Amino acid sequence: MNKLALVVARSLVVAALVAVPLFAADDEALKKDLTAVIALQGLPCGQVVAVAELGKDDYAATCKDGNKYRVYMNAEGRVVVEKRQ
Amino acid sequence: MKAWSYSAVLVTLLLAACASHKTEPQVAQPQAAATQPTTPEPVTKPREPAPSEAAAAGQPVTAPAPSEATQATKPVATPAPNGATQATKPATAPAPSRANPAPKAATKTAPPVANTPTPAGKPPKPAAPAAASTGAAPLDLAALKEKLKATKAIGVFTKISLKNQVDDLMKQFSDHYQGKGKTTMPELRRAYDLLLMKVLSLLQDSDQQLASQVVSSREAIWGLLSDPKKFATLQG
Repeated sequence: MNKLALVVARSLVVAALVAVPLFAADDEALKKDLTAVIALQGLPCGQVVAVAELGKDDYAATCKDGNKYRVYMNAEGRVVVEKRQ
Repeated sequence: MKAWSYSAVLVTLLLAACASHKTEPQVAQPQAAATQPTTPEPVTKPREPAPSEAAAAGQPVTAPAPSEATQATKPVATPAPNGATQATKPATAPAPSRANPAPKAATKTAPPVANTPTPAGKPPKPAAPAAASTGAAPLDLAALKEKLKATKAIGVFTKISLKNQVDDLMKQFSDHYQGKGKTTMPELRRAYDLLLMKVLSLLQDSDQQLASQVVSSREAIWGLLSDPKKFATLQG
């Protein structure tokens, strides 16, 4: 039993160490994507530095310059960028 | 040892799960911020040929017919000419008396903004040559579309956003040809150029091959858009 617990623990640790960078890479890609979307709308941002997922295809982005936007896809399939306070 | 082998198996399974999950988002690497600064590149190239067209720029005080735009764009073969058309546009801007040729200095893409072709001398006829030039480098819209869809240089959201803008522009063209919209052909050309600049700014760093393909197709695509008949086929 001890051995099994040890194996599971080690696996979790290793998996965590490997998975974190993977998700971090995804996160960076998402930030770049949102940065591009906001720029395409001609809105000031500079660079997205933080992203929070509000739902499916719905994100809250915080820009380097302090601006905050909600970027989401509406029912018509359009990407909408709304400024948040 | 057994313990390690067990953990290795478990980790492998977990990694597999992670990997499959990762592909879903499929978020590419849009480089909006980084690319923006580089956008001027395409513009600079075109400027070289600009001088030759500069002379024509002064003549077209009034906005020329839409189809004329294609004339200036003949140089489809090489990207440089395309840019040239952009550069000339500002010069041919509706208001020649402008003190500032590029009022929208804020946008680096401003230079290409005003894009009224310099067809003053040879109006509609040059359109035909333009088509011929496009024939030299056959335009495969479907392939280009697929490549744009597949490229990882542009993120998913960005692609959707670009598609939205393309659809908007198509509608503007449609309205223009139906006499509904107030948008003039030079304005449409300007919007088209700006949209292309956006795409190029996203592609040029990560997918230069596709970027060059887009540049070389620029005038050919404009040829399709600026011709009501060809445009109708696009719509269909």
